[in-house]
Formats: sequence, structure tokens, C-alpha cells
Amino acid sequence: MARFLMLLIPLIVTAGPYRYNCVACHQRRNLSLEALFFDYLLKYSSERRVKAALYSFIKHPTKKKAVASEDVIKREGLMPQTTLNDTDLRKAINTYWEKYKVFGKIR
Amino acid sequence: MSASNATATNISRSEKRTLFRFLGLYTFLVVLILGLGSTIYYNLQKDLMLQTKRLELEEFSKELIDGLKLLHIYFDRYRTYPRNPLYRSAIYDADKVLIFSTLKDPKGVRLDKVIYTTPKHQIQYIHVLDSYYLGAKYVVVEIDEDRAWFYTAWRNILLGGGALLALFLVAGILLARLLVAPMKEAMSLLDRFIKDTTHELNTPVGAILSNIELIRPERLDSSTAKKIRRIEIAARTISNIYKDLTYLTLHHQIASDNQDVDMSALVHERIEYFRILAESKRITFQTDIAPRITLHIDASKAARLIDNLLSNAVKYNRRNGTIRVMLKEGELRVADTGIGMDETAAKEAFKRYKRFDTAVGGFGIGLNIVAMIAKEYGLRVEIVSQKGKGTEVIVQWRVS
Repeated sequence: MARFLMLLIPLIVTAGPYRYNCVACHQRRNLSLEALFFDYLLKYSSERRVKAALYSFIKHPTKKKAVASEDVIKREGLMPQTTLNDTDLRKAINTYWEKYKVFGKIR
Repeated sequence: MSASNATATNISRSEKRTLFRFLGLYTFLVVLILGLGSTIYYNLQKDLMLQTKRLELEEFSKELIDGLKLLHIYFDRYRTYPRNPLYRSAIYDADKVLIFSTLKDPKGVRLDKVIYTTPKHQIQYIHVLDSYYLGAKYVVVEIDEDRAWFYTAWRNILLGGGALLALFLVAGILLARLLVAPMKEAMSLLDRFIKDTTHELNTPVGAILSNIELIRPERLDSSTAKKIRRIEIAARTISNIYKDLTYLTLHHQIASDNQDVDMSALVHERIEYFRILAESKRITFQTDIAPRITLHIDASKAARLIDNLLSNAVKYNRRNGTIRVMLKEGELRVADTGIGMDETAAKEAFKRYKRFDTAVGGFGIGLNIVAMIAKEYGLRVEIVSQKGKGTEVIVQWRVS
């Protein structure tokens, strides 16, 4: 049991900022995180560039930086500026990348 | 310096040397130009092949991009990469990280190019995307290279290049002959002049010498006797030159009368002949001549050989100098105390018309004649010289 907890705790800690901040909010508004990920991928291509764009947008959201369509922004508005500190924000972005990245998933 | 390799310098030999030098340079330049032309032709053929294949590869890349677009949209349901047996492909992100590949060797891909051939004979075409489906910025499409163009290009290079090379070489030989013609003409003129001059010299020189011999010096006053002696020296010098020129121009027409020549007597006789010339420069002879030394040779040629050695020893000696003549079994040495020469000059000494001091008379043919006679009779001639100290010529022959 102790061993199981030792394995589980890091996962919970790592996934925490993403799950309790990003997923929770997007689920409430019925906005697909996966679709947004592929929009980022379509615009920014590489891991480094996607992560940099996500970080910049979440820190200071503007219409210009947003990848969502104008209709969605009009309907839901821009996301509020994040309250996460830098470390948690980067953890959340990493978790997001790992969850939806295409590397190793194409057959 | 040995005379073994420096025998008669004739027109055809120098002509051949010039011809070969010119042809060597010409061939090098022709090969260089043909090599350059072949490289340009080869690259043009390759570019032509690549441009032809590019249309085909562009079509393949469009098809692949359509497949990627669909995969991007339906990635949550469908994850199979678009494949086609006609080509292999790969996708790379904006940081040139491989996303997926069906290429044979995805490591060697050059994303900064558009189309190129790989060392493993594949053609790779790079298409840069505007919309990065699945994050792909670079799409690589690969097909196997059809080597027919390569063999055709090489066949054309070899056949065309070979034909052009042959054509250029023929033109080169004709050019070289044109180049050599003036030199050949000049040499021929010089030889003709020497022949004509030689012919005209014989009678007057003979007349002067025979008449001088008839004069009795004791009947002359000292002043006239001195003048007559000077005339004799001059006449003997001309006579010597005449004999050299005759030998040079006619030696191949005169059959050799080889016999056992008494070299001891001949050397003594020739020293006496040159003594009068040597005295004019106050040069003294030191002799060490062994008796009864014989050599199987034409007597007149042996005299020519000795005369030229003695003549040079007088000509290139200093006033009040000495000439040391040594004859022993199998060896004749003539050494002077004159100006000497350096190693380079010694190497050139046997060449015809080579003169080392234009202040003294002569045509530069003496040692060339020595070398010719030495070659004919298998004699070894060596020059040992030191600039400013003197020169020694050593003639050696095998004693049976």
C-alpha cells in the first residue's frame, strides 16, 4: 500500500495544476482541450513553440494570441489571466503536452 | 659529371623534347577543360532528371498532405499514417524533430534542400507546409532513383569526351609542329652555315700553315719571327676549329679506321702541337705519360679527343697557368689551373654550342665532340671542376 501511494503521489502532484485548473474550467464551459491542442499544433508545430505560445497566452491572454475561433471567444470570452505560479503553470503545460502529443501515437 | 647521357645534341632530339613538353602541358589543359565540361554536363543531366521527377513527387506530397489533414482532424478516432506503395515519406516539426517516418533512412534527410539524391540512390523531395497538420512543417517524400540517366550521362561523357580528346590531341600535335618549325629551321640554318664555313676554311688555312712551315725562323729578324709565330698560332687555332667542325658535320659520313693507336706517342705529339698556343699565354705543361699505352680507336678521332681536351685546357686557363697531362693504362687525365665551373655548368658541359666564357673563342662544340667519340668507343668521360681552381677531365677505358 505504501509503495502504491509512493507511485501515485507524484502523478497526483504533477497532474494537479492541469486537472484542477485547466480541465475543471474547460469542462464547465464545454470547451474541448484536445481540439484546442490540435489548433496549437496546427499553428505552432513543435513542442518548444507550442509550449511557449501556451505559456504566453495563459500568462497574458489576448485575442491576438488566442487560437480559438472568433465565435468561441465571442460566446465564452477570453480566459481570465492565470492565478498559477510559474512552476505550476509549466507543470500544467507539460501535462497537457504529454496527454495530447502525437509522437508515438501514429501507427 | 659523366658524359654518358650527354652525347650529341641534335635537332630532332631538342625538337622532340619541346614537342613533348608542349604536348604534356596541352594535354593537361585539355583534360582539365574536358573534366570541367563533363562535370557541368553531368550536373545538368542530374538537374534535368530531378526536375522531371519533381512533378511526380509534388503530386505524391499533395496526396500525403491531404492524408495528414484528415488525420489531424480525426486524430481522436483514427491514427493510421497515410501510406502509398509508390513512395515513402516522413514528417518533421518546425524544430526539425522527426514526428513519423516510413523512409529507409530518416537520419540523412536534408531539410534545407528541395530535391536531391541520396548516396543510397534515392530521390528525396522536401515540401514545407503552411498549416502544420499534426505539427508537421516539413513533409519528405522519397522514391528510388532510376539510374538510367546516370549510365546514359557517363556513356555520353566517355564517348564524347574521348572523341573530343582525340580531336584536341591531333590539333595539339599539328600546333606543336607549327611551334617547332621555326626552331628547326634556325638549327638547320646554323648547321648549313657551319658546313659551308668549314668547306671554305680548308684551303686558306692549309696554305697558311704549309707556307709558315717553309719559313726558316733563323733567317728572320726577331721582330718578324715573332709576328710569324703569332700568325702560326692563329692558323693552328683556325685549323683546330676547322677539324672540329669537319668532324661534327661529316663524322657520320666517314667510316672509322680503328686500329691499336699508340696513345703515348699521340699525346706527346698533340702536346707539341698545342705547346705553341700554350706559350702565348705562358702556360706550361706538366706531363706524366706512361710509354706504350695503346687504345683500339680511329687515330684521327683519338687526336680530336685529345686536341679538344688540350684546347679547352689552354682556352680556359689563366696566364702563367699549368696544364697537367697524365696518361696511364686505361686512363687519360687533362687538368688545368683555370676558371673552373660550378656543378650546374659541369652538367651542361657536353651539350653542343654550350660556352661558359664568351670572352674566349670557340663554338662550344669541343666537349660535345669528346662525348660523341667517347660514346662511339665506350669511353667514360668525367669532369671534376671547382670554380676558380680549375677543371680536370678524366677519360677512362676498359683495358683488355
